[in-house]
Amino acid sequence: MAADDTSTWLRATVDAFERPLVRYALSLTGDLERARDAVQETFLELVRHAPTVDRHRPAPWLFTVCRTRAIDRARKESHMQTTDSAALAAQPSPAPAPEAAAAAREEAEQARRLLARLPAKEQEVVRLRFQEGLRYKEIAAVTGLTVNHVGVLLHGALARLRGEADRTDAAAPANA
Amino acid sequence: MNPEPEDWKVTAFALGELDGEEQAALARRAAAEPAFAARVAAIRSQGDSLKAALAAEPGPGLTDDQRARLAASAAPANLRVVAPRGRLLGLFGKIAVTGVAAALLVAVALPTLSGPRREPTTAAIGTGRPAAQAEFTEVYDRAGGVAGLAPTTPPAPGVAGAPLTRGYLSQNSTSQAVLRAALAPGAGRLAPARPPAGSGAPTESPAPDDGHNTEGYDRIFENPFLAVGDNPLSTFSIDVDTASYANVRRFLTGNMLPPPDAVRLEELVNYFPYDYAAPTDAKTPFAVHLEVASCPWQSKHRLIRVGMKGREIDLARRPPSNLVFLLDVSGSMSDPNKLPLLQSALGLLVNQLTENDRVSMVVYAGASGVVLPPTAGDRKQEILGALERLHAGGSTNGASGISLAYDTARAGFISGGTNRVILATDGDFNVGLTSRGDLLRLIEDKAKSGIFLTVLGFGMGNYKDDMLERLADKGNGNYAYVDSLNEARKVMVEQMAGTLITIAKDVKVQIEFNPARVSAYRLLGYENRLLAKEDFNDDRKDAGEIGAGHTVTALYEIVPAGVALPAGAAASVDPLKYAPQPAAAAAPAPAPGAGSGETCTVKLRYKQPDGDTSALMTFPLSDADNAFDRATGDFRFAAAVAGYGMLLRHSEHAAGLTWDAITEIAGSSLGADRTGYRKEFLELARKAKALAAQK
Repeated sequence: MAADDTSTWLRATVDAFERPLVRYALSLTGDLERARDAVQETFLELVRHAPTVDRHRPAPWLFTVCRTRAIDRARKESHMQTTDSAALAAQPSPAPAPEAAAAAREEAEQARRLLARLPAKEQEVVRLRFQEGLRYKEIAAVTGLTVNHVGVLLHGALARLRGEADRTDAAAPANA
Repeated sequence: MNPEPEDWKVTAFALGELDGEEQAALARRAAAEPAFAARVAAIRSQGDSLKAALAAEPGPGLTDDQRARLAASAAPANLRVVAPRGRLLGLFGKIAVTGVAAALLVAVALPTLSGPRREPTTAAIGTGRPAAQAEFTEVYDRAGGVAGLAPTTPPAPGVAGAPLTRGYLSQNSTSQAVLRAALAPGAGRLAPARPPAGSGAPTESPAPDDGHNTEGYDRIFENPFLAVGDNPLSTFSIDVDTASYANVRRFLTGNMLPPPDAVRLEELVNYFPYDYAAPTDAKTPFAVHLEVASCPWQSKHRLIRVGMKGREIDLARRPPSNLVFLLDVSGSMSDPNKLPLLQSALGLLVNQLTENDRVSMVVYAGASGVVLPPTAGDRKQEILGALERLHAGGSTNGASGISLAYDTARAGFISGGTNRVILATDGDFNVGLTSRGDLLRLIEDKAKSGIFLTVLGFGMGNYKDDMLERLADKGNGNYAYVDSLNEARKVMVEQMAGTLITIAKDVKVQIEFNPARVSAYRLLGYENRLLAKEDFNDDRKDAGEIGAGHTVTALYEIVPAGVALPAGAAASVDPLKYAPQPAAAAAPAPAPGAGSGETCTVKLRYKQPDGDTSALMTFPLSDADNAFDRATGDFRFAAAVAGYGMLLRHSEHAAGLTWDAITEIAGSSLGADRTGYRKEFLELARKAKALAAQK
């Protein structure tokens, strides 16, 4: 595999995953600078291990590595941070749009606000599933949980977002 | 409701995560039980909404510097093909591994960059800008190599020598150590320890923060009042950019107040066409119209308006054009308010071209390429077809696209015609290896070849206003922001002549105020267009262009002689230590002109579009003591627009100004307003008032 092809693929992968990884890392560290550092290290690992990564589906590998780096950097107060929703809220919205789209935007912001109130693990699997498009198996690999536990967490999260469950932490299932 | 033990599998099924027998069983159940099917559908629809909500979440990426370093480490030269048995990735791999190990062992001693050395080098590149306003400060690492460029901001008061990285360069990053270790000549050696905590961030507020905000605006430090005794000359380069007005409009229509640094007064005022008379002499490229009246927000002050009107060119007899569209088709351009709008805007332009014109199209995204070779302007189907086929995707490498576009323009150069690159982008260059400073230098170099530049900005969120404005400036060009098809029509159709045809370049203004009549003055806007007084007569110093039919307006607020200066205005100058003391105030012999009764003299220098030597025009101005409401409609409207900008900028000079005053003045000076822009302004002013009241 020529160095040129690898280089092109590396650049394309960095471009494609830069923002998703920073976003994910930010949700774990709560601090943008640490998140960026974690992502930069992730990409450096990618450069080093390029031949061993699946070219067609690098996402699981990237998120796994990123998670490790980000967790290392998370503040000592808690092992896993919930998203710093204030930081995200401070960013400009993607598009000030005509009235119809503005209503949709409100709804989207509301959905994200509700999401931010979920327990940390549930938020993480929701994001990995619905924001980064990972399959259950992949989420399990990234987070180190079992597939069943991922399924339970997602189910609980969606139920909570629908308002159907109470807000205390779901007990981990017996086979977690 | 107690969840069934396997309830989570229903969700998994709905999301397509089950397979085999489990999946088949639930599929049968959904077919048989409508209630169950509805439940599944609800979960799926919830998933879709979540997807949409999360996709719309704004998100920052890496810093420019981090990206540049990654690009360097991923360059082919640094990679080696891995042999089948998985040997290390050549030299780079070995060093990198060493670096990582070393960095992990010495966890605390994280390397960073030292503070920046303030270099006037960037100011010396023919911009005519005083060194104090150098745009980029080169930031050096301890080894003395250039680590990158950070925009210059003045140090926070009281924090002497504070490093000014403004977040561009991550200061406490292990990965920086790895990269530096990997790429430095003495690989494996760590850089020295980081500077003391607290020196990393400037303390001025509010810092335009590139951490959370991906839009980019230069900080604007408003022009203060200057005492005529110390500063009799005011010198600046003209500017016909209009982007700030459209950009501010975009914020207000979205129910947000704009960031103050996005508000450039001169671009607001210059957005509107004014009825200045065109020059009568065919050889003179523009006519100058001066007017003075009382200042509406400070009755003791006067307002001077300098207006210029470029010669109109009959479009039917305009010179032939050689146009190269340089289009950003990177992934970020795929939003509906970007590439599709761009395609429509350029389509409007193409429709007006003739067989004497030549159009080519270069795209840059990932690779750059010519997607339409030089094609005669009457072959509309071919040109529009090439526009249609554009689609967004990939990353950007602005530098190679720009080179290719200018090469294409030079290849099709039309002597005596208009040769122009039209760059359309959201400014998210992602230029990889090329730093911003290099890109600007590249543009500056290309501009010397007689090919001018129009920059069209699109989109938002990623919008790099500061970068685009600088590109247009260095590229001998103009800059507009296209937020709607109407704006596209304005830029591409109504003002096509001005957008396309430059009639004078390097146009500079110098005003000498008469101390017998004026005690202090303040230029409204043009903060990043100021020139040193010596630059006026220096033909090597670059300045702005005027297009056919363009109007340019500059406003000065004047404190007449004998009126007290505003509190805190015009800081006093220390007495000189070495030069002889100026004669006592009672004694100096007035210069010949002081008794003339003139308020000021306005001088202009300009060059023909293909010339190198400037010509001079001189206009004395006497104040007839008109009250504001006796001034022309154009004068009053321009003042209202300037006031709108001052309020949006929270100007310290806006003490006497209210939104109501602005809407009243604008409302009474709409004039014919054939284009409707003035009425639109009135609505925007009302909107701004409402938003400001909510704060």
